[in-house]
Amino acid sequence: MEVSFSKEIEALRLGAGDTFHGEGILAITKGLLQSGVAYVGGYQGAPVSHLLDVMVQAKPYMDELGVHVEACSNEASAAAMLGASIHYPLRGAVTWKSIVGTNVAADALSNLSSPGVRGGVLIVVGEDYGEGASVIQERTHAYALKSSMCLLDPRPDLGVMVNMVEHGFRLSEQSNMPCIMELRIRTCHVRGSFECKDNLAPAVSTRALIEEPAGFDYMRLAHPPVTFRHEKLKGEERLPAARRYIAEHKLNELMPGKHTELGIVVQGGLYNALIRSLQQLGLADAFGATDIPLLVLNVTYPLVPEEVADFCVGKRAVLVVEEGQPEYIEQEIATLLRRRDIQTALHGCDMLPPAGELGVEALSGGLATFVQRHLPDHAQDSAQGWLTGNRDRRAAVAAKLETPLPNRPPSFCIGCPERPVFSALKLAQQDSGPVHIAADIGCHAFGTFEPFSMGHSILGYGMSLASRAGVSPMMQRRVLSIMGDGGFWHNGLLTGVQSALFNGDDAVLMIFKNGYTSATGTQDIISTPDDEVKAHAVDKQQSLVDKNQTIESTLKGLGVQWMRTVHTYDVDKMRKTLNEAFTSSFNGLKVIIAEGECQLERQRRIKPWIASLLRQGQRVVRVKYGVDEDVCNGDHACIRLSGCPTLTIKDNPDPLKVDPVAVVIDGCVGCGLCGANAHAATLCPSFYRAEVVQNPKWHERLLHSLRGTIVRALQPA
Amino acid sequence: MTNMNRTQPITLLICALGGEGGGVLTEWLVDIARHAGYAAQSTSIPGVAQRTGATTYYVEVFPVPLAELGGRRPVFSLSPVPGALDAIVSSELLETTRQIGNGMSTPQRTLVITSSSRTLTTAERMQLGDGRADAQRLLDVVKAFSREHHVFDMGAAARDAGTVVSAVMLGAIAGSGLYPFPREAYEEVVRGKGDKVSKMAEASLRGFSKAFDAVNTPRQQAAMVTGLLAGSKDEAPITSGLPQAVASLFPPAVQDMLALGHARVLDYQDADYAQLYVDRLQKVLAAERAVDPAGAQSFAITREMARWLALWMAFDDIVRVAELKSRASRAQRVREEVKAGDEDIVKVYDHFKPGAPEFAALLPASLADRVTAWDRRRSTPWALPLKVGSHSVFGMASLRLLASLRWLRRRGQRFSQEQALIDRWLDAVVKGTQVNWRLGHEIALCGRLIKGYGSTNERGKHNLLHVIDHLAIAPLPDGSPTARADAIAAARNAALEDEAGTALDATLVRHGAPPRPIKEQPIRWMKRTPNPASHAR
Repeated sequence: MEVSFSKEIEALRLGAGDTFHGEGILAITKGLLQSGVAYVGGYQGAPVSHLLDVMVQAKPYMDELGVHVEACSNEASAAAMLGASIHYPLRGAVTWKSIVGTNVAADALSNLSSPGVRGGVLIVVGEDYGEGASVIQERTHAYALKSSMCLLDPRPDLGVMVNMVEHGFRLSEQSNMPCIMELRIRTCHVRGSFECKDNLAPAVSTRALIEEPAGFDYMRLAHPPVTFRHEKLKGEERLPAARRYIAEHKLNELMPGKHTELGIVVQGGLYNALIRSLQQLGLADAFGATDIPLLVLNVTYPLVPEEVADFCVGKRAVLVVEEGQPEYIEQEIATLLRRRDIQTALHGCDMLPPAGELGVEALSGGLATFVQRHLPDHAQDSAQGWLTGNRDRRAAVAAKLETPLPNRPPSFCIGCPERPVFSALKLAQQDSGPVHIAADIGCHAFGTFEPFSMGHSILGYGMSLASRAGVSPMMQRRVLSIMGDGGFWHNGLLTGVQSALFNGDDAVLMIFKNGYTSATGTQDIISTPDDEVKAHAVDKQQSLVDKNQTIESTLKGLGVQWMRTVHTYDVDKMRKTLNEAFTSSFNGLKVIIAEGECQLERQRRIKPWIASLLRQGQRVVRVKYGVDEDVCNGDHACIRLSGCPTLTIKDNPDPLKVDPVAVVIDGCVGCGLCGANAHAATLCPSFYRAEVVQNPKWHERLLHSLRGTIVRALQPA
Repeated sequence: MTNMNRTQPITLLICALGGEGGGVLTEWLVDIARHAGYAAQSTSIPGVAQRTGATTYYVEVFPVPLAELGGRRPVFSLSPVPGALDAIVSSELLETTRQIGNGMSTPQRTLVITSSSRTLTTAERMQLGDGRADAQRLLDVVKAFSREHHVFDMGAAARDAGTVVSAVMLGAIAGSGLYPFPREAYEEVVRGKGDKVSKMAEASLRGFSKAFDAVNTPRQQAAMVTGLLAGSKDEAPITSGLPQAVASLFPPAVQDMLALGHARVLDYQDADYAQLYVDRLQKVLAAERAVDPAGAQSFAITREMARWLALWMAFDDIVRVAELKSRASRAQRVREEVKAGDEDIVKVYDHFKPGAPEFAALLPASLADRVTAWDRRRSTPWALPLKVGSHSVFGMASLRLLASLRWLRRRGQRFSQEQALIDRWLDAVVKGTQVNWRLGHEIALCGRLIKGYGSTNERGKHNLLHVIDHLAIAPLPDGSPTARADAIAAARNAALEDEAGTALDATLVRHGAPPRPIKEQPIRWMKRTPNPASHAR
């Protein structure tokens, strides 16, 4: 696991009278416990990884409360887990990254929403949208609409967020609808505080077990003919019940303002940005007191028609502040205004940008138009000056820089075991010709960035092998599919491997076996080396992923006949193996397992180990690579084959030469790639491997001093 | 009261790279504010932070103590607002400039505290030539678009203090007086709970105070900035020891480069070879004097040739590499680079992979041809991967043995080949100069294409010769000297754009010259049969 959450776990134990200080996603986690959640599941992914990570690490305390925590193999299994709340009065919560995770979970979600739930169900999704997002830009909103699930979008204030968690469960129970809570990236990482309540141990739990299973009840199955009844129930009973609860408990907040003839309807999650925009236009104060009345939707589906109608009626114009497309909320409001024949002018996408994150600047632009149109007397000079000022400054900087600044995409970590595979792949394509590369989700997707720039398609997590099924039959040369062990277990095993074997496809699959789902924060998976293995390893520096053979035995069991395991840092062997796979006469599925443990995890193990050895004055060997500046030819071929952050360039110390030379800076973990590349690609002979022996033994010292005298005698100045 | 209602929070944008502890920094700031009794909020876009990407953190602090707010709580923004920032603190110069480019900083309002240090992006590092962004330009942007700016090397400060850059950034923030908190308030939080201060905390505090002073002490600050803006590049030391007889032959403007070049060639081979260098250079000088007797161009052609000619004549081969790697000064340099303690033992293994050509280079033509012919017949070229322990007696002895083969070099095939090529280039420079000064100058500058070793060196020579043959000599649609000079300059830059030479070929064609001949490269062809393969089970 990437981080130790001991501090956060303590925070989970806080009770009434205590104040919680910390990140939004942890506040949500605390909120679940305060609501008496009985089971929690999910699949890791930014920005909600921490919810599950903390709960997994807090297992002892969870057992104390009787809460079951499950690290699911993917979002589908997490969503299916919610089936427990169909029959039983269990409050359950699951979490994942959306939109992608919701896509994977969609089938189970539909079959959960149709019969409906008895125990409260809360799905906490990280709405990975806008700046910092790592996935396609779509709205989770659509799922709430199509499957009739409530959608909570709380104002990013820790108190409100926690409160909405508790309401979410009750809302779910009152309406029998599952509730989704969408949290944007910055909301998950916002640091604030709230007043705690005591945690509730669930009535039914791993400590207080259910004695008898529920009786047979066909209505609880998602199976015809009752599914037709379910669909009616959604409209006739569940949605009305939900609307009643939302209205009664005032989950949506009404904020008065002096310009009563105008109004703004805003998604709760965008409230803070809207207030700052109003401040910039001189229409709100530091504490959120606004001149234009607001309707803050902490629940964005279902809307309460009366609530919206009452807000709009008698107003000259209303602006709907809604992020992303399509503008579902605006459309629904338009419909209900039309049906009620309310003549208030409705604005939204006509003034606000229809696509992309609604940051303060973007929001202010639309707001300014709205105010200009409907509040013409309000002076806007300052705001307009600020907006045009921004535009002018950007142009001015661009002009001063002449050339655009180079991007800084994320890249493989220092010493990452996946980097060498792309070095080998680059070289192998020089031997066997360029190949179509079906890429995947995971750290290895960084291979699509410089200096490798490899990969033709990304169709989803674990989808690479499946995504070449239509390509490889049409392609004269073989197609390479790249998959991480995370993606393999997430669904690549079935959607890819099983299908390729069944169809006898001629395919090449490269599995990065680094032992963890590293891109999401190095969570453990079934093929992660056991803790005992790590504890007992004599040399803690070595990669330990070979100690777990689950992937290999699974593939053998499925009937994979061509399988090679290669240690990733052996570039030459990987190159040969790739060439063999590309040119072999075997026409079935060829699997190459690239073995090398995630460097992040290794360093977490190595650093304390080395430190302890040094404290005890024991012998330690530290490896660092280097470049001889007077031999380096300044061509940087080595960098084009590596991209390691510690292999960089500096001014040429030779006054005759002009091009910068390569240099290995501090931070090099001595992974060996520089040396392996130097040999595999026959780079210039400037690389050296230095082994620094700390606390050498006495005989080593003796030998070294003898050797030293002779060597020095041989050396010229 | 209404006055306070309009009070704005203090807004701070923090730019860092993954793994630099930006998360800790924001946590510190929020805690400090809380303990001091102020409302504060932070957010971040960590993304895949520890994977070396750029990350930003955003902090808002309300300048009026909570106690005076009468129970009301300010509403904070979750994202930085362009043009509404009080401060930007950044650990990397390019990222600072990027945020300024996004319109974040304004000359009216924003204090910019940035590290002068660069963490080069892959795009900058991977270029064949020098792809680095111009640091001076970046600094100019910082100066032009900030109310006040502090520039110092945060990385160095962190290294000296043995801590991470986040502690240094905190010190810079504290020193700038951005917040109404006393220095102690910061140090308390860094020190942490408990009376015993951990080693880590101590290091953090050291880094903290370094930065605090750097930003807080204006004089020190000014010195640092001017030092930077002056450009810290130290000029080439003029190595004397150039024989008077040689020196007297050349104008002063050429002397420093000539001294370096002469010394290089002498060190590379022997006095005769150095003499050859001087003779060659005199041809160039004579040609340049003829077109520019007054030295209006301060003999730039001769000066550049003094550089490139020396570098080409001292071409890299295994003898040279062995010589460089077996020097005592080199062993010392390695010890420093790997930061070995006095008691530590350092073992150095050098990666060599000499192929048939490297050995053939030292053999007389007849023998060499046979070796290379044999090598060509092989499916894959022969090469000998070596890891020579230059710390060991055997390793050092073999390096010295190799280095002592200098005499063999002169008799070797490559030596004569290189001399022939050098003369072709030299001849082109001289002829070009006689036609037109700029033409000669551009051809001279093409010496930059000749680099290093093995395939890189081969590529460079092919490119150079092709440019000479087709842009300097062969007839062109527009054969005017200036047009040729332009074409050569363009080709030279294009040649440094990509390994494959795609850009170079395009440039050649654009100027009416043929693209370089396609070089045969063995590829293992694998063709699947059109009809789908039968089930392989």
